[in-house]
Amino acid sequence: MSGLALPTNKAASKRPAPQNNAVASSSKPSGAGANPSSGGMDEDDEELMEKRPVKAVVGVPEITAVQGLVPTLQNIVATVNLECRLDLKTIALHARNAEYNPKRFAAVVMRIRDPKTTALIFASGKMVVTGAKSEDDSRLASRKYARIIQKLGFDAKFAEFKIQNIVGSCDVKFPIRLEGLAFSHGAFSSYEPELFPGLIYRMMKPKVVLLIFVSGKIVLTGAKVREEIYMAFNQIYSVLVEFRKEA
Amino acid sequence: MAGQNQSYYEFYRGSSIGTALTDSLDELITQGDIPPQLAMRVLQQFDKSLTDALQKGVKTKTNVKGHLSTYRLCDDVWTFVVKNPNFKMEGMGAGSEMITAPKIKIVACKSGDAAADTKKGGGKAAAAAQNDY
Repeated sequence: MSGLALPTNKAASKRPAPQNNAVASSSKPSGAGANPSSGGMDEDDEELMEKRPVKAVVGVPEITAVQGLVPTLQNIVATVNLECRLDLKTIALHARNAEYNPKRFAAVVMRIRDPKTTALIFASGKMVVTGAKSEDDSRLASRKYARIIQKLGFDAKFAEFKIQNIVGSCDVKFPIRLEGLAFSHGAFSSYEPELFPGLIYRMMKPKVVLLIFVSGKIVLTGAKVREEIYMAFNQIYSVLVEFRKEA
Repeated sequence: MAGQNQSYYEFYRGSSIGTALTDSLDELITQGDIPPQLAMRVLQQFDKSLTDALQKGVKTKTNVKGHLSTYRLCDDVWTFVVKNPNFKMEGMGAGSEMITAPKIKIVACKSGDAAADTKKGGGKAAAAAQNDY
């Protein structure tokens, strides 16, 4: 997980979640200019960057409970409405890297290499784009697909882009006593090792589902914004420390 | 597949052996030696015979390795454009034979009994086909 090495301010530089304010305090150089993924952001972000150092004085927690331990985003699912009926056969016939087998699935499955993503394109003009590793990539990929459809002669728009799910993962690097966790957080936990080796933890706030494994590897899913992933990880981390397995 | 006359693909007519046959038939027609209907009949038989021959007569296994440039699935036909493919033929004389090409197109259709896919553009025919791009 190379993403772990990323500076913790990656997200904070982009989105103004209040709990992230302290980021600027420690390792952060001045602003996100060095961060390629925030390059496309607009003026209000600049504004944020100006403000942050001021707020940072307050002792708000780091973006995650542990320095340098930040969940890596693994998958982002987004939907777009192209607002135009599509003839899927035309698309399958003329676009590259497209699959259309109406007997099995009523959508064209199309892939692009950069950003490496897969799109499901429906005749209604709605599209699902999966596989992106960042919000910007997801949007860029969706735009590329819309452009491909446009080039095939459809009057495709780019409307209602919405990120539906964000999946992240992390390794806390210590083993966890899942039974103990399941017992004391019974309301949120479901641990059935005969069915699935991980503990399923349904966090209420933020509304994120976590898969927690004995090995200390964590999968977080169900978030709509990346901050929810970070918040959920932050909260679970302090719990996990309690249930650290002494090996 | 038995008894169905129309169930053979015509795409082998585009192979080198197919074009040679078509050219010969054309020549015979223009010389007035055979009627066009007979030529059509011959080509239909060619479709059938080549399909059968590839299905039954070819035992060589071939491995294709290369960079998949594009792919497509539409109407039960897979199309692959492979860049820098490497064909490794098994069981051909001593050791294995290697054939390369800058670019080939593989067209794979459902066979009548859906048992095996038929391929066009493999091996040496591919070297001819690569000029289409």
